[in-house]
Amino acid sequence: MSIVTIAPSHAKLAAPPKQLVSRDCGPDGCEIDWLASPRHEADLDIANFTAFAMEQGWGDGLPLVPPTETRVRTFLSLNNRYPDEVIALLPPMRAECTVEKIVINAVMAGAPPESLPLLIAAVEAVAEPDFELYGMNATTASVAPAMFINGPIRNRLGIPYKHGCFGGAAGAAPAIGRALRLIMRNVAGQLVGVTSQSTFGSPARVTGLCVAEWEERSPWAPLAERRGVKGDAVTTFGGMGTMNILDTTSQRPTEFLEMIGKSAAYAGTNGFSPAVPFCEVFIAINPICAEIIGREMPNMEDVQEVLWKNASLSADWLEHLHRGQLEDQGRIRVDGLIYLTPEPKDVVVMVCGGTGGLHAAIVHSFGTSITQTVAIV
Amino acid sequence: MATGFVLDPTTARADDITSPGPDAGPLAGKVIGIRVDQMWRAWDWISEIWAEEFKKAGASDVKFWRSCGRSGEEGEKMDRGLRAFLASIDIAVVGLANCGSCTGWTVHDALAAAALDLPTTAVATANFEEFSKTIAKRGGRSGLRVHVLPYPLNERFREEVDPVARDHFQRLIVTMGAQIDAQKKAAA
Repeated sequence: MSIVTIAPSHAKLAAPPKQLVSRDCGPDGCEIDWLASPRHEADLDIANFTAFAMEQGWGDGLPLVPPTETRVRTFLSLNNRYPDEVIALLPPMRAECTVEKIVINAVMAGAPPESLPLLIAAVEAVAEPDFELYGMNATTASVAPAMFINGPIRNRLGIPYKHGCFGGAAGAAPAIGRALRLIMRNVAGQLVGVTSQSTFGSPARVTGLCVAEWEERSPWAPLAERRGVKGDAVTTFGGMGTMNILDTTSQRPTEFLEMIGKSAAYAGTNGFSPAVPFCEVFIAINPICAEIIGREMPNMEDVQEVLWKNASLSADWLEHLHRGQLEDQGRIRVDGLIYLTPEPKDVVVMVCGGTGGLHAAIVHSFGTSITQTVAIV
Repeated sequence: MATGFVLDPTTARADDITSPGPDAGPLAGKVIGIRVDQMWRAWDWISEIWAEEFKKAGASDVKFWRSCGRSGEEGEKMDRGLRAFLASIDIAVVGLANCGSCTGWTVHDALAAAALDLPTTAVATANFEEFSKTIAKRGGRSGLRVHVLPYPLNERFREEVDPVARDHFQRLIVTMGAQIDAQKKAAA
């Protein structure tokens, strides 16, 4: 084996077009029963419904909004969407994820109706074969799909990109993230201890990780635009949790990037495992730091290159058993280093965070999950 | 108490194949395919010993196929490699289900073999036995044969793992529905 570079496959998600009902009467005008899901009689009080839903195995422990027909129909009609559209087949069950199922789970999570286009795009993104949801939903790792949002929809939905954007900022992001998590549970069939073997799990497996980019404060083009999608878009990333990097010393761009890059390179991350042939890494740079770096490095490729070079380990530093396995796989390069990602392009950078600066955030990758960017329409 | 009707948020797969599929039968002259992976050295050691045992039992050949990255161009290459491997063997032994994602992919590849009507046995460690069966059922084939090795396994040294391989071979033969005695008689 030698260095495996990350190149997208040609296998792309093909959502099977399927109509169960006539479109003649429009999404909010039909009187026929076009919602295909079974009905259950339940107490509609939030606490009692939550207890009922937990008994059914639908819940995550937080309060759930009862997905009544009225709520589901309203959610659909506000978006002018038909419930029977199949968005994707989700592993491990290869279950049909319809708009109806997305909406039912979004209602339960407390997500606003305006979030449906984002949720549909996110489901499309995680269902792409290259995202490797098959392994991600089953793994012992703590990974969960993170959603990084670009475009005007950030502000319409109130997705945070300033102070506390990775968690703590009040708004719709936790409910939207939670909706995707409930979809993983109830549609994809990811159940802790049953189909998910995650050893420790993660808070992101409850509320997701739903963050936007502070595009106005970024010296570079928005993340999604750099990945080929302008405007409203979601970028999904198989994230293992957040790591904080503090730097109170650096002054120059290369100094900041060296500290961030070296911090990303810890021996136990999946990217350095002999079991993982390649990985990416996500790095959030705060707007103060981004401005300093951007003055000297207006090209994102240069930023990625410096981060990539620093996100490496000396093979000599590893003990012989780990080093030997990586050596056998051809992962040690001629400079004696093992790089976290195969190439600089695999370092995914976004600008967000508060104006207090000082910190960067890193989200390490599950491994063979390849980041996906999908337009929100 | 206000009651009403709520919509079910789940989906369920209705189809299921409960049959274990064809028995491996007499091993004489058969090509055994062992699926290994990039993660478990203990599974490599066990596969080596089982390969020797299969040959002693009359198998004409034992082929190995190693699973690696399952996404991107690497994943496409793996998929092509798996299909070619399955087309070249008579019996599939697929492992190792010893973690979350690797159990998922082990069962995935075992289901691919079983779908071709190859006598197929997945191999799991004890901690991942139920998980393997659950994933197989969710994949539409609850009858998939699963042979169970002790757990933990990969943390053991080779001198501890080799006896496990030898000790389990006869039991593997039973799980596979294989017949060594008949084969030996035929060879004699």
